[in-house]
Amino acid sequence: MLEQLLIFTRGGLILWTCKELGNALKGSPIDTLIRSCLLEERSGAASYNYDAPGAAYTLKWTFHNELGLVFVAVYQRILHLLYVDDLLAMLKREFSVIYDPKRTAYDDFDETFRQLRMEAEARAEELKKSKPVAKPVNNSKKQGQVQKVGFEGGNKKKGGSGPGSDGGDGNGRKMENGHANGNTDETKVALVANGKENASSNIGAFDVNKLQKLRAKGGKKTDTVVNKGSKVDPNKKITKKNRVWDVSPTESKLDFTDPADQNGDENAVIVAADEGESMMDKEEIVSSESETEEDEEMEKDSKMETKKKGWFSAMFQSIAGKANLEKADLEPALKALKDRLMTKNVAEEIAEKLCESVAASLEGKKLASFTRVSSTVQAAMEEALVRILTPRRSIDILRDVHAAKEQRKPYVVVFVGVNGVGKSTNLAKVAYWLLQHNVSVMMAACDTFRSGAVEQLRTHARRLQIPIFEKGYEKDPAIVAKEAIQEATRNGSDVVLVDTAGRMQDNEPLMRALSKLVNLNNPDLVLFVGEALVGNDAVDQLSKFNQKLADLSTSPKPQLIDGILLTKFDTIDDKVGAALSMVYISGAPVMFVGCGQSYTDLKKLNVKSIVKTLLK
Amino acid sequence: MDELEQWRIQLQQWSRQGAEWFHQMPETQLYAAIAVVFVTTFFLLSIRLFKRTKSNTVVLTGLSGSGKTTLFYQLQDGSSHLGTVTSMDPNEGTFVLHSEIAKKGKIKPVHVVDVPGHSRLRPKLDEFLPQAAGIVFVVDALEFLPNCRAASEYLYDILTKSSVVKKKIPVLILCNKTDKVTAHTKEFIRKQLEKEIEKFRASRSAISAADVVNEFTLGVPGEAFGFSQCHNKVTVADASGLTGEISQLEEFIREYVKP
Ligand SMILES: Nc1nc2c(ncn2[C@@H]2O[C@H](COP(=O)(O)OP(=O)(O)OP(=O)(O)O)[C@@H](O)[C@H]2O)c(=O)[nH]1
Ligand SMILES: [Mg+2]
Repeated sequence: MLEQLLIFTRGGLILWTCKELGNALKGSPIDTLIRSCLLEERSGAASYNYDAPGAAYTLKWTFHNELGLVFVAVYQRILHLLYVDDLLAMLKREFSVIYDPKRTAYDDFDETFRQLRMEAEARAEELKKSKPVAKPVNNSKKQGQVQKVGFEGGNKKKGGSGPGSDGGDGNGRKMENGHANGNTDETKVALVANGKENASSNIGAFDVNKLQKLRAKGGKKTDTVVNKGSKVDPNKKITKKNRVWDVSPTESKLDFTDPADQNGDENAVIVAADEGESMMDKEEIVSSESETEEDEEMEKDSKMETKKKGWFSAMFQSIAGKANLEKADLEPALKALKDRLMTKNVAEEIAEKLCESVAASLEGKKLASFTRVSSTVQAAMEEALVRILTPRRSIDILRDVHAAKEQRKPYVVVFVGVNGVGKSTNLAKVAYWLLQHNVSVMMAACDTFRSGAVEQLRTHARRLQIPIFEKGYEKDPAIVAKEAIQEATRNGSDVVLVDTAGRMQDNEPLMRALSKLVNLNNPDLVLFVGEALVGNDAVDQLSKFNQKLADLSTSPKPQLIDGILLTKFDTIDDKVGAALSMVYISGAPVMFVGCGQSYTDLKKLNVKSIVKTLLK
Repeated sequence: MDELEQWRIQLQQWSRQGAEWFHQMPETQLYAAIAVVFVTTFFLLSIRLFKRTKSNTVVLTGLSGSGKTTLFYQLQDGSSHLGTVTSMDPNEGTFVLHSEIAKKGKIKPVHVVDVPGHSRLRPKLDEFLPQAAGIVFVVDALEFLPNCRAASEYLYDILTKSSVVKKKIPVLILCNKTDKVTAHTKEFIRKQLEKEIEKFRASRSAISAADVVNEFTLGVPGEAFGFSQCHNKVTVADASGLTGEISQLEEFIREYVKP
């Protein structure tokens, strides 16, 4: 059974809810969905899981971008309702007919809804009855995640090999949201969703292919809904359907992970990739602005769009303002944009998700006159990037230091990260910066693992004339940190900067030790130090650090990475993608940027210039 | 590319024809036409300039969940409808306040903007502040203490924006949700906000060296911060968006956007 169905504007006004359902929801799933999924550029995901005391909901949604409407369905997770996507799509179609921006009450929609729901339920029922074949579905390589959900039936962990594929930071937002469940990270949301649906298809014994066929036959009506207004060939039809509305058990998963399965589009996609690449190169030489190139791009876009349409009709459309943007129209521009992001060193996975989210926010929108698809897409992406990089929490450390001081406690910062990223050096820079603002600082040498680490820190301490707390090597770093904090409390230091050993994210014993250190000392800030040079690995590093901190923690509210320090920023030229990847995957803001060898080379991230560079 | 070539030829022909036609025109007609064009553009431009000098925009801002959208619809429709969820986009409307609809005579409509409070959407605020005649900073008086620091920081950022300071845009701190008995009083909230801002003043002036641009500093050095020290007028009021007790808000709006 559905728990709740809601139609609201992007402005936040609820236009219609299903009174029949009328169940009071536990917690605030809708607000949480908006805050930690839709506004975090994760709206490309298939579903969102929300846990509150006594409730485990799954939420699904669809946008009507032209009208600025959002449709959300909430149901109990254990129910695996199959008709929800179907229902939402129908709801959207019917509601957009009667919607009027000036009107705020839609009581007459109740009756329409009742019918739609009956239809959808009946269709789902039919599907269920007709398919008694059990056949495990394991085509997603990302299924490693699924285990978490607790439906193990038939879901073998099939090499969770994609970079970062099983490292979703999961609980990244747990702390911030208080009651948000762990699966805020889209990777996980999507995967869990897939996993669940898979699980359900195992249990409920569906056969994928037959199901698909059946949909095509029996579900004619849905198909027309889905493809309303689109005149593309059948292959495209399927693609579109999958991506947008239809998150029925199996199809969507194929799409998200493995584009090669979309027989029809395969070629087009590859072509797009190639051309995009070369264009990037050119652009770097000529330095962005030149109009002709963009025209060229557009021409290419349109060519890829449809081979039937000539360039003239495309040009004409761009002048006259096109009816509504469809997925297929956006695809080439998005592809080019994705490639551009990747040349800036954004992790592929992240670029992909962003593009999906931007697509979700544009689809169905009217293209304004005299604008090209590519520039519309670019504008939407720019807005999304600004949104992501704008810190969600305050990054005013000095304010927090003063607050801690009032409580007569030292403010503890733990620096974590993989080997050789410059933890100690940048720790010293932060110390220098704090000193300049009349904050008394103490260093704690908790890298008791790598030889020479303590001496290195001691050198910095001597140069900055800061006290350092050290206990040599072979000691448990968690204990050393604890003693350091006690010492700082005694001698009245305002801030303790804890240096830890660099560790690879897969090194289980060392990660365990880190988790212990964090748990035992409850630092005010866990600062992840990462190299700005890193590409796809950024996702893996951050998500695994967070994952380990969450998994190995004993407390119900584990402390995760709160902020990021990007090092070696001066060496990367315009390849600033790591900043984006890290912020996106962890939800933590970039608090400092290290950009040189001297103590003064520490900056704040300039969001505007980063966004500009990324899109250049 | 044949197509393209054809089109180019066609275009050239057209332009040649256009030029010929232009030459055949009598001169006086030509001048008259040019004059008309000039006059209209000048007229349109002056209208725009005139409009800008007298803004009728009131911006609702504040943390997420403070009740901005509810207030927006109270102002517009006199009802909070079925309720609200977290906003993803601003709400904008130009209307005569609902409570004034019954009044006779011509009333100047107000342009009200409700900017979402989610921190990721904060940059949106900058789009609306330059044209604001007044800013309403909505505070949740019910859940005030847990959000005190965040609210103060947001308010601090607004009060130090150059667009606000230079134009001395008046700010109303609106304590919302006072329909509940557990809501804090506006005096208490004002004091707490002042205290918190005082702390930010210390830390922010330090940070500005490190690239975060707060364009202006607040208050008088060496004195504890109070809203009275601001160059623009900062006042405090209460309201309840849910029950529609928004008279103080309407007074504020009508003080700066004359009917
Ligand atoms: N008790 C009470 N609740 C209110 C009042 N005003 C708003 N609320 C509730 O506060 C919640 C948030 O209100 P919104 O108007 O959506 O908040 P907002 O400021 O627009 O939030 P964002 O759009 O996220 O920035 C809703 O659940 C309202 O019902 C009020 O005067 N009294
Ligand atoms: Mg709102």
